[in-house]
Amino acid sequence: MNIDSLKLKKISALWIIVILVLFIASIVLGILMRLNQGKVIEQSPLTFYTNMTTHGLTMIGIWFAAGMVAVNYLLQRYVKTSYGVNLFAFILTVIGVVMLWVTTYAGKFSTGWTFLYPLPFRDLGSESWSTPLFLISLTILGVGWLVWSVSLMAQIFKKYTLAQAFAWQHFKSNPTVETPPFILITTVTLVGVIASLIAAVIVIVLYFAEYFSHGDFVNDALLMKNLIYFFGHTIANEMLYLGLAVIYEIFGEVSDRPKWKMTWYISLAWNCAMVFILTAFFHHLYMDFVQPQALQIVGQLVSYLASIPSAAVTVFSIVAAVYGVKVRWSIVNLLFFLGVAGWVIGGLGAVIDATISNNIMLHNTLWVPAHFHTYNAMGNVLFSIGFFYWFSTQYVDKLVLSKLTKYTLTLLIVGGIGFLMAFYVAGANSIPRRYSTYPVELTSGPYLAKVGALFATIYLIAILIFFYNIAKRCFVILSASSR
Amino acid sequence: MQQHSIMLFFMLLVGIGTIFFVSIFMSSLKADNDSTGVKNLLKKRFWFTLILIVVLGIFAAATLPKSPYFTYANETPSTVIHVGTMQFSFFLSTKPIDPKSPSGETIEIPHDQLVEFRVTSFDVNHGFAVYDPSMRLITQVQAMPGYVNNLRYKFTEPGEYHIFCLEFCGTGHPVMQTTFKVI
Amino acid sequence: MFRYFVCFFALTCFSFLGYANDNHSDFREEQNLYGKIYNAPLGIVGNNKVSSVEELYNQKPLIIALVFTRCYGICNPFLLQLSENIKHLQSNSDFNILVISFDPRDNLQDMTNLSKQYGLENNLQWNFAITDSIDAFINSIGFIPKWDSVIKQFDHDALLVGVNEKGLITKNLLGIRIVEDVHKMISSINNVFTPSYRLPTKSNIFSCFNYDPKTQTNRPGLGLLFVALPAIITFLIVTIIVIKSKRTVS
Repeated sequence: MNIDSLKLKKISALWIIVILVLFIASIVLGILMRLNQGKVIEQSPLTFYTNMTTHGLTMIGIWFAAGMVAVNYLLQRYVKTSYGVNLFAFILTVIGVVMLWVTTYAGKFSTGWTFLYPLPFRDLGSESWSTPLFLISLTILGVGWLVWSVSLMAQIFKKYTLAQAFAWQHFKSNPTVETPPFILITTVTLVGVIASLIAAVIVIVLYFAEYFSHGDFVNDALLMKNLIYFFGHTIANEMLYLGLAVIYEIFGEVSDRPKWKMTWYISLAWNCAMVFILTAFFHHLYMDFVQPQALQIVGQLVSYLASIPSAAVTVFSIVAAVYGVKVRWSIVNLLFFLGVAGWVIGGLGAVIDATISNNIMLHNTLWVPAHFHTYNAMGNVLFSIGFFYWFSTQYVDKLVLSKLTKYTLTLLIVGGIGFLMAFYVAGANSIPRRYSTYPVELTSGPYLAKVGALFATIYLIAILIFFYNIAKRCFVILSASSR
Repeated sequence: MQQHSIMLFFMLLVGIGTIFFVSIFMSSLKADNDSTGVKNLLKKRFWFTLILIVVLGIFAAATLPKSPYFTYANETPSTVIHVGTMQFSFFLSTKPIDPKSPSGETIEIPHDQLVEFRVTSFDVNHGFAVYDPSMRLITQVQAMPGYVNNLRYKFTEPGEYHIFCLEFCGTGHPVMQTTFKVI
Repeated sequence: MFRYFVCFFALTCFSFLGYANDNHSDFREEQNLYGKIYNAPLGIVGNNKVSSVEELYNQKPLIIALVFTRCYGICNPFLLQLSENIKHLQSNSDFNILVISFDPRDNLQDMTNLSKQYGLENNLQWNFAITDSIDAFINSIGFIPKWDSVIKQFDHDALLVGVNEKGLITKNLLGIRIVEDVHKMISSINNVFTPSYRLPTKSNIFSCFNYDPKTQTNRPGLGLLFVALPAIITFLIVTIIVIKSKRTVS
């Protein structure tokens, strides 16, 4: 084993442990929120909203990082990646997250992950220093991730030309060079990641401009909302794509099936997805009638269109890889398969909500957390945990499907479905999201919150078992010498 | 589509999806070493994509005209209700609201008449969501500082309607509410 | 790439122009919207066929200007600006204008003189009128002039009222306004639904869109450049990386 690959392995193992610890902490915050809504415990609104802000930002951060860790690790098969940049991103992420938790818990910063303008300037109950510290912590995270993304992209373009990285040569018959699907998806996703991070940088600069101008410069609320959702929606979508890149690369390998080949339609689908994803965020502004109608309609059409390449290519490919053939099932490809199913079902909920005439009855109700928790908690998280298992077992252990694994998966599925159904039913009952406690008129709210908390705890138990299995192997990797 | 038919439609889709994925998974368990899987993959993929595009196209064509920007656009409202929002209260008035000293009044709206809510915010982003007497969300719009959003609606059922804030606006977000009557 | 920059530069300049022209509106303009205007009997200069406000708005939607002929203050510049604005409209046939005196001392001769002052006495679109039920009329609008007995003048707003063909007030404009605002009024009296509008704010140089009533569309503002900026910068970054890495390969 050479020194470079050991260093990459160690940093990846470190990432995985940190990500899972933060994941468990954030799930606990989520359960506390549902318990408070269910009136089982009593927290002040300020505590509830600092928990909510921390939960949202941490979850987005760690699952984005998890996708990047996996892609960085697998990219080493094709191109040489920089260990220094990976380490740099890790250090900045840790500093950024620590600062974030300081702003929320010591500074009582509680604007939600959306930090919609001008709420951070009128955040009641928070310390005055928390807003600038929040912006600084976002800057640190943004710089770390931007450098990482640009570095990975630069490495890809050292080996592949522009056309090859985007697999454009596959539009012609009999291309001479084959682009691995993994390279195409990674390139396409990195483009989106960079765009979303730049949107975040612009938001931060505009916030700082107003902060330091002492009222001479005032931002436009509509522009800020557009930019914040450009950042938030796009990065949340791209982290799913990072997970899909991993599936394209290793699903065949772990299943004893041939590796997926690049074709013209895979190339077309991902190139389309790259464009669609950058304008789909308009669906967050349907209820802002001031946004021009053309953009609203584009928002709905693009949200629909974005589902076509995913469904017709990725879902179809995984179905084709499994249907009617003998597959060596292990925890890894089971998690991948389950994750794709969760992703599709969450996507159905998302398409329903992305329809303007439905959105007027669903916008900012619990339907919204319902669908994004579906493709995160039951989609993207499973992609990443699948990768973590594969990564941790390939050097330390053998992949076997034990009885315990089957029980854990059952817990995960039962917990996941129960906690998501509590969200969906509440959404259909017009229960608003982001309420620390429910007004007495909304009778089903507290009841469903209790159900949600119960099932989320079952989900947490499954995650704890996964964490134990993965972390113990990661520690073995961390203590390995380069012998 | 009302919320409960949306939920029913969604559950139907989830059911189909679950059966689909479970049967795919089961087929792989049953398969032996000689099984070859799906044949004519490209052709099937083509038909699947085509059907998906047609279904989504029909869905878009059916739903887009029902968007709130187009409903009641050709009618003249019988009343205007001015809505001012602030952390953490609503001001509803038939008269324009002075942002410097906002005040509201008790609102009664006659049923079956078109009403136009002119919604704005005096501080941060808020939501203006109207719940009918059975506590079902029937319409909503965002309240954004610097802008006025015009929401038109025709109430058919008399009774007490609630208004809740549906955009997170700070610690008092869940207590921000008011009511009006439809007569 | 150069073409993009030219486009965005043009957009930027355009939006600054729009900003410079933006006139501030007043929340009082929102008064009495969709209320019915009082059907006052009218005496109109040079027009004996029409004798009431209702007959007038039944023909075409109406813009009403409230003035008095002995005004030393705002009435003259207000009417002058209005007549200039109407002259510069490209299509100005889908509405009529009613200039009505709220001073009981004014008679038809005073109004005839006023119309001659602006050369509008033979213009069929313009109706200079008096009424004997002015109190009920201005009450239905919410217009309250105050008589100042010291200077013998009314203290009053310069008010334009837009009325649709059903006699409902759809828009008010306070003060001397630019042609764009008159455009907005003409759209509203012709029952064009505008889902939203901007309020005057401290700075709107970064607003995404400015509503253009002429075409009834939103004109891109500087803010839109910011929304497109992440995609543009990403495009530049990818281009730079590709060019740079080619160099290292060769």
